[in-house]
Amino acid sequence: MMKYVLKRIGMLVVTMLLVSFLTFLAFELISGDPARSMLGTNAPSYQVDALRHELGLDQPFFLRYFKWLTGFFSGDLGISYSYRQPVWDLIGSKLMITILLSLISFALIVIISIPMGIFSYQWGGGPFEWIRTSFNQLCMAIPPFFTGILLSYVFGILFRVFSPGDFPDLYEEPGAAFLHLFFGAICLSIPRIAMTTRMMRSTIVSEMNKAYVRTAISRGNDRRSVLVTHVLKNSLTSVVSFLGQTMAEILAATIVVEQVLGIPGLGRFLVLSIAQRDYPVVQAIVVILAFWVVLAGTLADLINQSIDPRLRLGGDLA
Amino acid sequence: MKKKMNRYLVVGLIITGIILAITLIGVFWTPYSPTAMKYGRFQPPSPSHIFGTDNFGRDIFSRVLKGTGTTLSIALATVAIGAVAGTTIGAVTGYFGGVIDELLMRLNDVLTAFPSILLALLIISLVGPGKKYNVVLALGLIFIPSFARVTRTAFASLRDMNYITSARLMGAGSGRILFVHMLPNVLRILLPAITIGFNNAVLAEASMSFLGIGVTPPDASLGYMLSEAQGMLKAGPWYAIFTGLSIILLVFGVGLIGEGLQAENREVV
Amino acid sequence: MLVIKDLHVKFDNRDREAVAGVSLTIEDGEILGLVGESGSGKSVTAMSIAGLLPRKQCTYSGDILLDGQDLLHAKRSDLRKIHGTKIGVVFQEPMSSMDPLMKVGEQVGEALRIHTKLDRQARKDKVIKAMESVELRDPEAVYDKYPHELSGGMQQRAMIAAAIITEPSLLLLDEPTTALDVTIQAQILELLKKLNAERKMSMLFISHNLNVVRKLCRKVAVMQKGCLVEEGLTDEIFLNPQHPYTKRLIDAIPTRIRKEGS
Repeated sequence: MMKYVLKRIGMLVVTMLLVSFLTFLAFELISGDPARSMLGTNAPSYQVDALRHELGLDQPFFLRYFKWLTGFFSGDLGISYSYRQPVWDLIGSKLMITILLSLISFALIVIISIPMGIFSYQWGGGPFEWIRTSFNQLCMAIPPFFTGILLSYVFGILFRVFSPGDFPDLYEEPGAAFLHLFFGAICLSIPRIAMTTRMMRSTIVSEMNKAYVRTAISRGNDRRSVLVTHVLKNSLTSVVSFLGQTMAEILAATIVVEQVLGIPGLGRFLVLSIAQRDYPVVQAIVVILAFWVVLAGTLADLINQSIDPRLRLGGDLA
Repeated sequence: MKKKMNRYLVVGLIITGIILAITLIGVFWTPYSPTAMKYGRFQPPSPSHIFGTDNFGRDIFSRVLKGTGTTLSIALATVAIGAVAGTTIGAVTGYFGGVIDELLMRLNDVLTAFPSILLALLIISLVGPGKKYNVVLALGLIFIPSFARVTRTAFASLRDMNYITSARLMGAGSGRILFVHMLPNVLRILLPAITIGFNNAVLAEASMSFLGIGVTPPDASLGYMLSEAQGMLKAGPWYAIFTGLSIILLVFGVGLIGEGLQAENREVV
Repeated sequence: MLVIKDLHVKFDNRDREAVAGVSLTIEDGEILGLVGESGSGKSVTAMSIAGLLPRKQCTYSGDILLDGQDLLHAKRSDLRKIHGTKIGVVFQEPMSSMDPLMKVGEQVGEALRIHTKLDRQARKDKVIKAMESVELRDPEAVYDKYPHELSGGMQQRAMIAAAIITEPSLLLLDEPTTALDVTIQAQILELLKKLNAERKMSMLFISHNLNVVRKLCRKVAVMQKGCLVEEGLTDEIFLNPQHPYTKRLIDAIPTRIRKEGS
């Protein structure tokens, strides 16, 4: 078991290195000459050279990548072009907010969709099946930014429960900030809850058709105890993997939701920085978000290994 | 049993068909000019302006018609790029396997680490924001891996089927085997994937335009209109509501088609 | 004693009856072989006895009486009390018939957990005993293993242990040796013979392989297309098959093996 955990963490490190390298390379290719673009086309070339030297851009590519990478892990993410400030100082507090927002959303998804999946299996079939399925499809069709607009209209403008666009300070008014984030989490999680419920249900259905269920019934289990003692555990690994992937989609959706509800998180800052072509900031945010996704995937794998002994052999589940 | 399964397909096709028909009419004729600012500011919905007007006095129904057209065409083009390129890659890697397969799968693993909208944002920032074709390009590119993954599995599982082996023994070339013998069977999996891809494309385009890095004026997509509408929420909430509902209805209709197709597949198996 | 009278089963999505009027009797302590090719209705017959028919998707009639108790028309709740106490079932594919995520020991003792009030330790003692009686080596170690860590033969032994742990009066064996290779197959047949001799347990042994049936069962019934075509003492049927279908089944056994067995 321990060996496997170490192996999986090794894979995590390799993937993260690849991710960071690709990102660095991509920005090397698209950013052109940042020194020139910072100073404008009319600046004399000695100034540009001086700035380039100041930013370390006159060094070879791999050296810069290595420096950037070591800097990344020691908290030095470079200097923002637009603000001329260390990137970390700019994004530190925003990272906290985005992490909170995605964790609240994730919690909502897990807490609601796992029981819903089980119930929708239990109530499965019957004349109202198509209504449930259609409702599920409808929920999947609701874009988070539209929910965000509706919530800010109803709870922001009509009832004034919170003020969209004016995010309370996380440390001075934690309650109000949490409420604001909670509205964001609702927007994010509605379609994901629908997807996870559907996924959970179809996993249970396919597990219920497996041969071991028949064995369990032949020993005197009823449908319910088969579900509880055998099928749920067997369904769990697929659901955990799915939830691991959901993390990536939650992050993608935070970008939009932060914009709609005026939550000062990473996503919103990312959009701003892309518009300003502030590449050190964009690069740092992209790598942080990607790391978060890879980490979620690794955690999902590790959880699955503790559930399913077959995965500990190191092979994939056939 | 069969009939009940098909209900999704029928309802989905009806909803999507109606939207398509109305949108198609909207290409040639709208009740009012979608850009003319002369119908009175913030008129609530009424018989003459069924969706009301916005702060510039534009007819929202006409704008929604045009916007749906833009959104639809972008989503269709995106899915076409993703499906064609993805299926080709999936066919080659799934059928031939080997080093290319291994390499592309690893690349796929790394790419999944980036949330899809994030990748689209990056590509947009590379090719320049605000142009319709760039949005299509960016979205099309990010949809390729998922199509490749789905079809690769399908092609790989068909590769060892007896009828494929016998076709090979009878001297059929790889191209013929892939497109004549395998593709029709892969379609069963590809079609539902296309409906899901289409919906993701609609939502992704809407998100990007909403963020202001997708479609920008004079083109207007539903996502861009929603971001416009957000600013007018206090005085004219109907703008946001009708635009959002249009997105939901579009995605819902296609989602039902996908549900129906998957139900059909379950019937066959 | 198991009595089947005029059993009919028809699945809603099929035109032909899967079982079309089968009557059988298994005396106490007897092993009856039920032979036929796939689709002959032998497994459906077994599933009807085991109460594992998907009742909502088929129509059925007739009587199945185990020691006088009706199984075919019993309520689900009554069936559950019979499952794992009076009837034990062993299925064809031991690997897929076991819950991959539950320890073998717990699966073997599952019927005890459901039907008795024994505590964990008492259950474990019984499980170890049952594992010893099916000749599983090192039962203490096997107890804590997962199904994928056992060989096919060991898995099937564990499945048999699970089926007999509550000492049922009837053991249903649905092609229990088909998925195993020949040497393991012979060992399992020996084991079943021993269990039958020791415990006087009635068994219904289902197989498409007449030769395997011959090694184990004194009596055999042959099914084709849902009907019973021949029934009697195994040796007599082998020497003098009456029905052309039985002749074909016998002819299907390779000659060398046929001679070896006689």
